[in-house]
Amino acid sequence: MLTVKNIKKKFIKLEKNNKKIEIYANNGISFTANEGMILGVLGPNGAGKTTLLRIVAGIIEPTEGTVDYDSLIFKDNEIEIKRNLAYLSGNTKIYNTVSAYELLKMCAEVYGVQKTQIKKRIEEISKKLEMDSFLYNRISSLSTGQTQRVNIARCLIHDPKYYILDEATSGLDIISSQIILDFIKEEKKRGKTILYSTHYMEEAENICDYVLMINKGVLVKEGTPDRIKKDTKTTNLRDAFFSIIGGVKNE
Amino acid sequence: MNSLLIILKKELKDVFRDKKSLSMMLIIPFMIPLIIIGMSALFNMEANKDIKTYNKIGFCYELSEAELNIAKELNIEVIYKDENELKKDYEDGLINLYVTKIADTYILNGTTGENTTFAVDLVNNYFHKYKEYLQVKYLNENNINANKLINIINVEENIKEKDNYFQNYIFTYGFLFIIMAITVSSTYPATDATAGEKERGTLETLITFPIKSKDIILGKFLSVFISNFITGILSLIFYYFSLILSGNMFKIYEGINLVLPFKTFMFIFSVITLYSLLIAGVCIAVASKCKTFKEAQSALTPFTFLSLFPGMLAFMISLKSSLLLSFVPCLNFVLLFQDLMNGSLNILYLIVMFISTIVIIAVLLGVIIKQYKSEKIII
Repeated sequence: MLTVKNIKKKFIKLEKNNKKIEIYANNGISFTANEGMILGVLGPNGAGKTTLLRIVAGIIEPTEGTVDYDSLIFKDNEIEIKRNLAYLSGNTKIYNTVSAYELLKMCAEVYGVQKTQIKKRIEEISKKLEMDSFLYNRISSLSTGQTQRVNIARCLIHDPKYYILDEATSGLDIISSQIILDFIKEEKKRGKTILYSTHYMEEAENICDYVLMINKGVLVKEGTPDRIKKDTKTTNLRDAFFSIIGGVKNE
Repeated sequence: MNSLLIILKKELKDVFRDKKSLSMMLIIPFMIPLIIIGMSALFNMEANKDIKTYNKIGFCYELSEAELNIAKELNIEVIYKDENELKKDYEDGLINLYVTKIADTYILNGTTGENTTFAVDLVNNYFHKYKEYLQVKYLNENNINANKLINIINVEENIKEKDNYFQNYIFTYGFLFIIMAITVSSTYPATDATAGEKERGTLETLITFPIKSKDIILGKFLSVFISNFITGILSLIFYYFSLILSGNMFKIYEGINLVLPFKTFMFIFSVITLYSLLIAGVCIAVASKCKTFKEAQSALTPFTFLSLFPGMLAFMISLKSSLLLSFVPCLNFVLLFQDLMNGSLNILYLIVMFISTIVIIAVLLGVIIKQYKSEKIII
C-alpha cells in the first residue's frame, strides 16, 4: 500500500526585482493507494501533478510530509523501495546509444533480476510488446512509438509492485497511447498499484478506479469517477473539474 | 559495487559509441607529434638559418677597401645603388636591408620582419667591426698602442652548457601538451555524462533506479577518467616516439639523447594518472552545475587554458619549485618535471604533489556526490 501524508513542496522563485517569493507546488496533499488500484491524478498544466509524482517516485524530496510504501518510509529505505517502483513520464527519455536489448539488460541488472532470468525475461516482454523486430536496433534509430514501447518494457523488466506514470500518453499518437493504456489495464489485473497523472479527463474516466483532482498545488476533490460526477451533478470529469474550481474563467 | 560497475559499463558504452567523444579521445594525441616535430623544425630553421637569406645589404655610398674586407669577412653581399633604387629593391624583396649615410651617421633602413631582424644583427656586427678598425687606425696614427688600449681588460667565457636549450624546451612543451590533450579530451565526455544527460532527459530515468547517488557519480567519474587516461597514454606514446624521431631528424639535437629516461617516463605516467583523475573531477563538478550541454561546454573552455597557462608561465619566467608551489595543481607537475629533467627532484615535493592532488580529487568527488544527492541536479 502506498501512503502519502501531508505532502508540501516549496520552491523559491526569483522575481525580476531580485525579490524571492515562495511558491507551493504541493500544499498538504494526502492519499492512499491500495493494491490493484489505478489512482488518477488529474489537473491542468501547472497544477502540481508532476511535482507530486516526482516526490512519490523519490526523484525530489518533499519540504514536508512523508511517503510510505508498505509501511516503509521512503527516506530511510530508498533503495529497497525503488526496487519495487517503475517511473515513466511523458518527458522520460532513454539512452539512445544502446540497443533496446542492451537497455533492458542494464535495467534488469540494476533492479537485481537474477542473471539466469534476464534473457528469458527480456524475450517474454519483447514478445508481449511486439518488440522482436527492433529489439537489437539502437534506440536512436527507433520511431517514437517503438521508443515508447521500449520505455514500457524498461518499466516491466523487474516486475515492480508500483507504477508511477506521469502524463505517459502526452504527445503520443493514438496507437502509442493505446499501447500504454492497455499496459496499464493489464498491470492492474495483475494486482499492481498504478499512480497515473494526466490532464486528459476522458482518459482518466475510462481507466481510473479513484481520482485525485489537484489545482494550484491543492487537492480539491477526491473519489471514484462516479462519486465525483454524482457529487458535482455532472456527466463527465471535465465538467466536474470546472464545477469544482468555479469555471474556466476562474481557472 | 555491482551498481557502480553497471553505471561504469553504461557510461563507457556512451563514450565509445559517441563519435565526438571518441574522436576527442583518440585524435587529440595525434597532435602531439605534429607539435613536437613542427616546433623542432622551426627551431632548427632558426638556429641554422642560411645566411644567403638575409645577407643582401644595399649601400647608397661607396665602401672603402677596409669596409669591403669586413663585409667579405662577414659574408655580406654588397649592392651599390642610390637611395631610391635601394628602397625599391627592398620593397621588391631583392635586398634584406639598406644603409644610408648622413655625415658620420649611418642609418639602417627596413621594415620589421624575420629576415630584416637577422640582417640588422649582421649589419650591426659589421659596424662594430668597422668602428673597431677606425679606432685602431686612429690610435696608431697618434702613436698610441692600440692593442693595449682596446684590450685593456680581457674577458673569457667559461660557461659550460648544462642543458641544451632546445631539448629543455621541447621536453617541457611536449609534457605541457600532454596535460592539455587530457584536458581537452575530458571536457566532452564529462559534459555529455552530466549536463548532456540532463538535457536529453535521461538523468530522471537514472535517478529513479535503485542506485546510490555515490555509485552514479563514481561510475560517471571513472568513465571520464578512463577516457582521459587513454588520451594521456596515447599522447605519452606519441611524445616518446616524436622525441626520438626529432632527435634523428634535426641538427639542433646533435649529440643529445632525446630518449626519455625511465624515471621521467614513470613520472609522466604517474602525472597522467593523477591529472586524468583530477580533471575528470573538475569537469564533472563544473558540468553538473550546468543545465545544458552548451552551457557546460562554455563553462569548461577556460580550463583548457588554465591547464596549460601556469606551466607555460613557470617555464617562461624560470620559476623554481618550492614546498608551497608543490601544492598548486598543474603548476606543481611542470615544476617537478623540470626538476626531474635537471636531476634535482626533491622527494618531499613529489610526495606533497601526490598527496595534495589526491586530497583535491577526494574533495571534488565529495562535492559532486553531494550535488547528485540534491534535487537541484534535476530541477
